[in-house]
Amino acid sequence: MTARLARLRGPNNEGLLLAVIVLVVIAMSLASPAFFTAGTFFALVRSSMVPLIFALGVLLVLISGGVDVSFPAIAIFAAYTTVTLFMDGSGGTALVIFAVAMLIGAGLGMLNGVVIARFRLPTLIVTLGTQGIFKGVLIAYIGSAYISAGDLPSAITEASDRHLVDVAGGGYLHFLIVPVVVIVLLVAAMLKWTVFGRSIYAIGGDTEAARRVGIRVVRTQVWLYMLVGALAAFGGVVYVILGKNANPQSLVGTELDIIAAVVLGGASIFGGRGSVGGTVLGVVLVQLINNNLVLVGIPSTWQRAAVGVLLLLGVSIQAFAATRGRSRPVAVQKEVAA
Amino acid sequence: MNGTRGALSEMNGRVDNAFSAAIDRIHVAHGVGRMALLLVVTFGFFAVLRPEIFLNSVNLQNIGIAAPEIGVLALALMLAMLTGGIDLSVVSIANGAAITVSSIYTHFATTQGADAAASMTPLVLLAGLAVGALLGAVNGVLISMVGITPILATLGTMQVFNGLALVWTGGVTISGAPAALRSLGSTAVAGVPVLALVLLVAAALVAVLVNRTPIGRKVQLQGANPVASTYSGISKRATLMTTYVTSGLLAGVAGLMFLARNPSASADYGSSYVLLVIVIVVLGGTNPNGGSATVLGVLLAAVTLQVVSSGFTALRLSAYEYAIAQGVILVGVMVLDQVKFRRRRGRRAMSGTAAPEPATSAPTH
Amino acid sequence: MTVTATPVLEVRDIVKTYGGVHALDGVSLSLAPGEVHCLAGENGSGKSTLIKIISGVERADSGAITIDGTTHGHLTPNEAIRSGVQVIYQDFSLFPNLSAAENIAMLSELAERRVLSSRSRIRAAAQRVVDDLGLSLDLDAEVERLSVADRQLIAICRALVNDAKVLIMDEPTTALTYSEVQRLFVIVRRLQQRGVAIVFVSHKLDEVLAISQRLTVLRNGRVVESGDASGYTRRAVSKAMTGRDVSETRLVNDVAPDAPQLLEVEHLSRAGGFDDVSFALRAGEILGITGLLGSGRSEIAEAVFGINPADSGRILVQGKPRRIASIHDAVDAGIGYVPEDRLTQGLFLDIPIAENMVAASLDAYRTRFGLLDRRRIRRSIADLFGRLRIQAPNSSAVVRSLSGGNAQRVVLAKWLDRKPAILLLNGPTVGVDVGSKEEIVTILREQAAAGMGIVVISDDIPELVSCCHRILIIHDGHVVAELAGDDIDADEIQRRMAA
Repeated sequence: MTARLARLRGPNNEGLLLAVIVLVVIAMSLASPAFFTAGTFFALVRSSMVPLIFALGVLLVLISGGVDVSFPAIAIFAAYTTVTLFMDGSGGTALVIFAVAMLIGAGLGMLNGVVIARFRLPTLIVTLGTQGIFKGVLIAYIGSAYISAGDLPSAITEASDRHLVDVAGGGYLHFLIVPVVVIVLLVAAMLKWTVFGRSIYAIGGDTEAARRVGIRVVRTQVWLYMLVGALAAFGGVVYVILGKNANPQSLVGTELDIIAAVVLGGASIFGGRGSVGGTVLGVVLVQLINNNLVLVGIPSTWQRAAVGVLLLLGVSIQAFAATRGRSRPVAVQKEVAA
Repeated sequence: MNGTRGALSEMNGRVDNAFSAAIDRIHVAHGVGRMALLLVVTFGFFAVLRPEIFLNSVNLQNIGIAAPEIGVLALALMLAMLTGGIDLSVVSIANGAAITVSSIYTHFATTQGADAAASMTPLVLLAGLAVGALLGAVNGVLISMVGITPILATLGTMQVFNGLALVWTGGVTISGAPAALRSLGSTAVAGVPVLALVLLVAAALVAVLVNRTPIGRKVQLQGANPVASTYSGISKRATLMTTYVTSGLLAGVAGLMFLARNPSASADYGSSYVLLVIVIVVLGGTNPNGGSATVLGVLLAAVTLQVVSSGFTALRLSAYEYAIAQGVILVGVMVLDQVKFRRRRGRRAMSGTAAPEPATSAPTH
Repeated sequence: MTVTATPVLEVRDIVKTYGGVHALDGVSLSLAPGEVHCLAGENGSGKSTLIKIISGVERADSGAITIDGTTHGHLTPNEAIRSGVQVIYQDFSLFPNLSAAENIAMLSELAERRVLSSRSRIRAAAQRVVDDLGLSLDLDAEVERLSVADRQLIAICRALVNDAKVLIMDEPTTALTYSEVQRLFVIVRRLQQRGVAIVFVSHKLDEVLAISQRLTVLRNGRVVESGDASGYTRRAVSKAMTGRDVSETRLVNDVAPDAPQLLEVEHLSRAGGFDDVSFALRAGEILGITGLLGSGRSEIAEAVFGINPADSGRILVQGKPRRIASIHDAVDAGIGYVPEDRLTQGLFLDIPIAENMVAASLDAYRTRFGLLDRRRIRRSIADLFGRLRIQAPNSSAVVRSLSGGNAQRVVLAKWLDRKPAILLLNGPTVGVDVGSKEEIVTILREQAAAGMGIVVISDDIPELVSCCHRILIIHDGHVVAELAGDDIDADEIQRRMAA
């Protein structure tokens, strides 16, 4: 208990993260004059949109004390299934497509939630299992074909080409940034200003105590995983729209990058801590590196190692901070352990 | 006076008996017994359904050749789980070892000729194992000294090891493996593939390590209650380092087995193995929270999943359907265990009231 | 003060069995508004089960619970909360990651089935309770950063935020210092005046008699005594709890005059813990260290055992200076430690008794080939079982199934198997039934007679008096007195501790 409490104390290192981002931006600008342009910025925004949505889901689960690795499978399952449903051109505005996909996502999320909450099982292992199930069902029974732009529902291809801002030289800001920003703000507001949001923090802080003050833990968790499933599905559709194709083999395998970004953003793997602000910064940092390593002359094969090193550095700092915190108030901590 | 104490001890005795009986049942059900039954059932199922394909000697041989590398990886993960941790990097480490062996060997073969390279084989293989142990040590340092939670540490190292392998190979599959290693992969002794023997030897060594050596018992105690083990004078650093180095070494062995089966190596080989290996370890009766595991259970689980895999092939089911089966088995087993545990808890609640209550002292005056 | 108002809580003929064993066998209890009712009993007497049933966490097999005139067949936790029953758990059940205000007000936000959560409303609700009780608390601080006493106050505030009618306090004083306990009592009396009925669960008889109007003693799931607290003495309650008279006589063996020094502690200091502490321990001697909670008594033991090493000073073991920077160092030097919190620090609950017993001495069983000598292990375990009179069906039962007394004997066995020269015990009989208590003290005497040096850290003064050759009294991090031989006297110790 003591150790866990002490480790929880890891600083929500948003400030540090912002400083790192600024440093990286300065370094990259110095290394390559092509870096500091509107085009690069818009590309960064565009490539951050999908990871950011996924990261919100990961954040919610982390705060509640779990780890979810099934969200990419849910995302592509929901998006691809919805696309195949509307492929014959049977109408379907973008709004309808989003709604249907999010319903599917919520359904799959509910499955996670019920198994995890009802049986109190380790979330990582459960979602590893459901990830296999979701992807397997998608490819074995729903479809394994790559759907190219020509076969996508027209609502999606139209959405693909809607830009908010175009700049000379090919850069553009995609209009989907608007709903993405709205969702980011909504999730932040929910975590701060709703009893549901506070209950998620409470469950992540101490599940048994949550039960004792009358939070319906099982129900809250099931709703939470449904919400996370719906978020993943939203991200999946955005992914399809931005990429202008639907590939059932895609997305799965990117979960660890997202988790790395959220943990970098200061969320605690032990639950109870994490913020939307930190998560946004974490995602931006990872994308900044992923997008621009090549620009500054580092081969793209280094991407994965670089993100891994970044993650290890981030969690090492947290671990060191926690150890230091642990050795301070000895007397008090001993009593807590009792 | 004696009456009360007698009644108390009698009550204790009754609780103890009921409880230990429950524990005994769980122990048998949990690991070996259940797995043996499951193995027989799945084997029988496919044998009855598709005897001509499934019972074909080639198919059986294939099970014997494919199961071992996964089995060894499962043993590596089992050790980490025994301490209450996890090692997500085992597959990356195995690939690292395979790439090391393949590229060093190829380097010698091209610069000094095939014969010279062949004579260097033992050294080259040792280099592969050394890489496994070294990468395991990196995990060990991060977890036991820096103090990062195993899941985050190995999540990070998995990315880093895998990323470095990508950098080294340039993202392509490299080929080439020592001839001796390759022939090992295709040899059988008395009908048993050598690779299967390697798995058996590895399993026996791990079983001895865990059950019969002081450090092995300490690893288990560390998993059962890290605080109490520190308070018993057990060095956390030593047990965790031993665990993750051994785990890395086993992953290195698995890497050599990859090469023995197929003389090529890549950073992305076996990307679906992480899930599979976790399924095997949990199915084999390992407690994901640490403190208990049986080698035989894990071994049987590895074979069972390979039987399911080749059975699915015999039934012309796809790899994705196998992935579904893995997921269903994993979740199903955990749910079943939990249901059983809850039923047991009804009985345990009594001992809860009789059990010591944690209490610190305060002044009486 | 006698209370004759209609009961706010009435529990009738509660029966609860687990697997055929009666945890509660027809227990009845009634509680008037403004009454402090003490529920006393040893571990395993059924106290916790009764609390769980009143708070709706567990369901009774038969019997009825009437709260404020409404009878409930089976109560759910939410019904209990809404009827005004609040429990303050021993571990407080707070959220370490949330602010004090949020911890206090979360309950009312949930009870009012709110959707939106407002920081100012939460702050106001929490402030209201805090002001009501006349407390000063930093409401914006994260609970994780607060002291134990403050956490307890927050737990009390939380219980009151929703106008509780019945407040159950489960061992509320365990983690508090003397003055904090006094402060708690003031609050309890204030609540009482406001008509809140309080069930005070404790095993500390002095406290019980000081604060309660009525008293119910449980033993083996039955009510054995119930009545006005003023009619009982400490001894009568103790007898009711255990079913027998407990002797508190002093029985100390002589230490041989030429017994060697085993442990010498010289000028040991640790910032924020204790300052310039020196003492020595000879073979065959039992040394008591006592003081109020927070006096530094536990910290001294923890420094000697390397848990939180000292900043300065010297520790000599068997005449040789030893550097003790970790538990590992201490164990190597020949020191064993029976911790206060044995469930988390002393035992491997889900591991068989036998393996617990050899957990600290595994290396001693290494054969030439590096393997464990299992035959020797079995012999040692059989021997320890007999010597410590452990009651369990067999050595492969898991420790979780044992009673407090037997579990503590397993911790002792773990160290006896290691054969340390010096054994430190922190609160060795806390949470142990009276019968086992005596036997544990007897075991310590036997070990001392066999040449071990023993240090008992405890605030159970009768126990210290009964077995210690010398007693150090710690106050505010300093040794303020050392009593030996005939000077050892319970009243004198009490006086010096509080000074």
